[in-house]
Amino acid sequence: MAETSKIVDGFLFMPPALRAWISKDIPEQPFSGQIPWTPLGKSIRETTFSLITTAGISMRSDPPFDMEREKDEPAWGDPSYREIPKTATERDIEVSHLHINTTHIKQDINVMLPLTRFQEFEQQGLIGKLAPTCYSYYGFQLDPTALLDETMPKVADRMRHENVEAVLLTPA
Amino acid sequence: MGQVAHYLEAKGFSTVTLTNTPEFHRQVGIPRVAAIEYPYGRPVGQVHDQNGQRQVLMAALSVLEDATEPGQVVHLPFTWPEEPKKTDWQPPEISPIIKLNLDEIKKLGAEARKKKVSPH
Repeated sequence: MAETSKIVDGFLFMPPALRAWISKDIPEQPFSGQIPWTPLGKSIRETTFSLITTAGISMRSDPPFDMEREKDEPAWGDPSYREIPKTATERDIEVSHLHINTTHIKQDINVMLPLTRFQEFEQQGLIGKLAPTCYSYYGFQLDPTALLDETMPKVADRMRHENVEAVLLTPA
Repeated sequence: MGQVAHYLEAKGFSTVTLTNTPEFHRQVGIPRVAAIEYPYGRPVGQVHDQNGQRQVLMAALSVLEDATEPGQVVHLPFTWPEEPKKTDWQPPEISPIIKLNLDEIKKLGAEARKKKVSPH
């Protein structure tokens, strides 16, 4: 894509106090550790995708994410995940999240988990495929141990089973 | 989300993260970042704006396709059409963790405002 001079301000929409509180834990220096890397090595037109969002989206037929425990234990966030079929629409879902306004996602799931757009991309040949299953977990994870040790192995297994090669991640 | 991206890349999946807060990249090192200056909870775009959503997603997919090394951040050129204060992204109730830390948050807010008035 074309070069752009815009530098995104990730706190533009935040009140100054919240900005100060959240950014105090972010280092000034660039990240210097190792970053794991799987090269794509092919065109997106030949790639099978899945989507993962942190927005706390669940199918109405499944239990919603646990918000009640977080109200009692403010440092705890539900570490489980939900599978969202690629054909799901806003009519099929619940959205549980205590840190954002969920109204917009309930009006149009694509603002957060772009299932319909990716199905269109598939039909138009812009991507290879959207795998049958996409995923949501809940983004508020101060301690990500359970998410990484228990939840993600199940997600990765399922994705491998569905021949997923690339994933679009959309944090809320 | 950065740690999940790490996990997936280590397991052989290529990832691109479409995020409203690319600053977290400095904390966790995200493999491929498409940064978008849109409100939290709507990184892909406005409700029912199919064309706008498509543009953002195709730009994010270009980042996936074009990135040549881990840790690349691409700032997407899109601008949200509403004033930041009018974006209505906040939850109806203050979140439990913010409620718990409200005194400290207010203090930091007051300090930040002071700094703005008299910069050193």
